[in-house]
Amino acid sequence: MAAPTRKAAIVGGNRIPFARSNGAYARASNQDMLTATLDGLVARFGLQGQQVGEVVAGAVLKHARDFNLTRESVLGSRLSAATPAYDVQQACGTGLEAAVLVANKIALGQIESGIAGGTDTTSDAPVAVNEDLRRVLMELNRAKTVQQRLKALAGLRPGQLAPEIPRNAEPRTGLAMGDHAAITAREWEIGREEQDELTVRSHQALAAAYDRGFFDDLVTPFLGLSRDANLRPDTSVEKLAKLKPVFGQGEGATMTAGNSTPLTDGASAVLLASDEWAAERDLPVLAHLVDAQTAAVDYVHGGEGLLMAPAYAVPVLLERNGLTLQDFDFYEVHEAFASTVLATLKAWESPAFCKEKLGLDAPLGSIDRSKLNVNGSSLAAGHPFAATGGRIVATLAKLLHEAGPGKRGLISICAAGGQGVVAILES
Amino acid sequence: MARTVLDAAPAMPALFARAALTARGRGGDLPDTRLARVGVTADPAQLADYARVCRFPLSDALPLTFPHVLAFPLQVALMTDRAFPLALPGLVHVRNRIEADRPIGVGEALDLEVWAERFATHRSGATVDLCASVSAGGAEVWRSRSTYLARGASAPEGAPASDVDVEVGALERPAAQWRVPDDAGRRYAKVSGDVNPIHLSGLTAKAFGFKRAIAHGMWVKARALAALSGRLPDAVAVDVAFRKPLFLPSTVTLSTEEAGGGWDLAVRNATAGTEHLIGTVRPT
Repeated sequence: MAAPTRKAAIVGGNRIPFARSNGAYARASNQDMLTATLDGLVARFGLQGQQVGEVVAGAVLKHARDFNLTRESVLGSRLSAATPAYDVQQACGTGLEAAVLVANKIALGQIESGIAGGTDTTSDAPVAVNEDLRRVLMELNRAKTVQQRLKALAGLRPGQLAPEIPRNAEPRTGLAMGDHAAITAREWEIGREEQDELTVRSHQALAAAYDRGFFDDLVTPFLGLSRDANLRPDTSVEKLAKLKPVFGQGEGATMTAGNSTPLTDGASAVLLASDEWAAERDLPVLAHLVDAQTAAVDYVHGGEGLLMAPAYAVPVLLERNGLTLQDFDFYEVHEAFASTVLATLKAWESPAFCKEKLGLDAPLGSIDRSKLNVNGSSLAAGHPFAATGGRIVATLAKLLHEAGPGKRGLISICAAGGQGVVAILES
Repeated sequence: MARTVLDAAPAMPALFARAALTARGRGGDLPDTRLARVGVTADPAQLADYARVCRFPLSDALPLTFPHVLAFPLQVALMTDRAFPLALPGLVHVRNRIEADRPIGVGEALDLEVWAERFATHRSGATVDLCASVSAGGAEVWRSRSTYLARGASAPEGAPASDVDVEVGALERPAAQWRVPDDAGRRYAKVSGDVNPIHLSGLTAKAFGFKRAIAHGMWVKARALAALSGRLPDAVAVDVAFRKPLFLPSTVTLSTEEAGGGWDLAVRNATAGTEHLIGTVRPT
């Protein structure tokens, strides 16, 4: 017999403003940012010295020394040291996946409360020893005799001093994520202008949300930043039109530094709980995490776009919950690139894609664009990979709460490796 | 009382050189001088370096010990002035008490003021307290008292007895072990500006009567507090006594024990058990 389940409540969130790479957080480590973000959440909800059921977080770019990043951050925070923690990593889906994992344990009654989060820095990125040098050193370590040691050392070459620097590229294709997205943009005939328009809307919506104080209880200033450093409230389609394409080739290239997310540093955290736990502490319930789904596509040999997996995950989630794509009051589609959002929406509108790829009799249809990313998304805020999920969950939960009970929101996040994580929240 | 406001932090290497050259022929009572700087903000790069060397997380609040780094150059300027009765070379930091009324934000503009007081008689010489007061927005938020011992020196007639002891519990259980490398003094000197030669190398330390270079007491204190990150009250007094010098390199243990709503601390040699630092952390 299956154990009875309940829906996990989203109590609130906290993040630090996102900084552009090598900007305000150039010297901050993932642990610094995650600890500061946890402490902000602790301060907001009076959790000093308290034990929460579990803290789950991760980082995409991770140093070897950070094998226990989340637990170390908990130990440095104001949470009780008796709070267990573990790391997860699902590329850009990390933050949302962490929230799903916490919510599932709450749903099963295994924990009463938990924190889901993520952090990433491209400024303090791990730089590893050259792979050839590493092999020599490991050989040297295994060597038992003088001869073996000398033989191992004979493998040393000056060129091995060049370090291994992480690249934002797919290991199996060698292509940057933007280059993959450019292929998809071309296939789906996503125009330059519609990408730039989506970008401008993102910046304007995020700026407006800051201006009306929406983020006052979601963001804690950090190291001199009080708003996301990437935010350009005064950007325009005309300004963006001047930028040269950086991904894709030739005449048809449409993707620029403006309509793609920049490398970003930041961290986010979300507090989830059972309704009872929240009520006992007089804490609000902004929304519930209703259900979630992941999907993956074969972008290497299967001909599908690297970032198209959410297009596959959403219909499964809708079917399981008896919903249509139009049954939502808000849509949060992660803006890895403007073209990714537009290609995903176009795929759901396409009878051919929905029939051939998703096996549906009719397309999912179009959505009301005025409900899409209403407080801006990653194009404006920036995208510190693992921190994006927490930003979106907290933002959507608060939006739903503001809109009143019974409202529903859809989250769709694409991730490297051809994966996608999607979820439904309800107030 | 004479109060002098400086435009910038004094250059420390020059001060230490002057201290060595003007060590002789000092005497008399403490000068009635106060040195001050206004509107000082922490340099983010120095702060990040300091945090790394002392193992503090980089956060939106200054490490509890960081204002000392801002005030210390003024204290050295005061001690190297010809009016100061004791010679800086040979002064040993024996106690340091820091009181913070609240965490200080990294971007806050701070007013610093330092002075010397409490010239006191010690069983092996005389002690003097170098004090610092840090204000933000006109209100004092942080203060410290560093007690220095001058062996063989004598305090003026009628001086009080010095007070260099801190009481702690048994602290029998080590919480952590630190391997302190032989360049620990140079690393802290770089981020703090405290380029006192006794910390920099074996050779320069020998010139001042130490068998090897010794760790900065304020680094030991900072690192012990960094180990308690997230576990410190916002309004807090941290009082430590520096006992035996921590010779570099060394392996030491940190022991912590909850006491009085805060903590008792001890840093000891890992094998011999020699006490380097004992201290208390108390909410205020």
